[in-house]
Amino acid sequence: MKPTAQTGADADAAFAQAMDVLWARFLPEIRERVVVLEEAARTTAARKLTGKQREASQAAAHKLAGVLGTFGLTRGTVLARELELAFARASPPHPDASARLAEATAELRAMIESRKAPA
Amino acid sequence: MVEKEPLVVARKILIIDDEEDIREVTALSLESVAGWEVIKAGSGAQGLARAAEHQPDAILLDVMMPGMDGPTTFRELRKNEATAKIPVLLLTAKVQSTDQRRFADLGVAAVLVKPFDPLTLSTQISSVLGWS
Repeated sequence: MKPTAQTGADADAAFAQAMDVLWARFLPEIRERVVVLEEAARTTAARKLTGKQREASQAAAHKLAGVLGTFGLTRGTVLARELELAFARASPPHPDASARLAEATAELRAMIESRKAPA
Repeated sequence: MVEKEPLVVARKILIIDDEEDIREVTALSLESVAGWEVIKAGSGAQGLARAAEHQPDAILLDVMMPGMDGPTTFRELRKNEATAKIPVLLLTAKVQSTDQRRFADLGVAAVLVKPFDPLTLSTQISSVLGWS
């Protein structure tokens, strides 16, 4: 059903609920993007990050940066932007940075998993 | 007898974005908060066709898309007489000022940054386009 313009608290509640439904619908895709970043953090530590993997990680982080804040996860957007920059460089991130990459992806994962799902 | 203008003007907006989650959130925002009609396109090529067919009041255009990207889509829209005058707002997750300036220099009506607040997006668009 196509939503219509409403006013007041009912409209706010209906909108929040509709956003929760969209969150649940797109959560698998959002999780897949986090998996890409987690894997990249691990392979960076092992000095095995490939160029293709770096590019995929940059793209995954870019998409997360664009969408998480829209769902109210503004800190998620900040972390995703940090990861996008880390993987944007022409050469792979230095293995010394892998601890920070792992930390950022872990925080991102926790944030996504703890966002409220529809009742 | 002179007809009164409606208090709320129903606008028609075309969203061109390859990411379905962004398309859906944007559509929900504009439909439910502002009561606008939304048309969706998942690629630049599809967007060009939908713009010519539906003649929207404005177009929200993603910058980074596979195939035809946002700036290329914008240039193609401008080349076609049927879509040349439709205001285009670029939507981007790029926050660096150099990127933003580069996009603004294309001649778009505005550059909006992702993530956006879905509750105020329609107000932002109205403000930029001078819709009261």
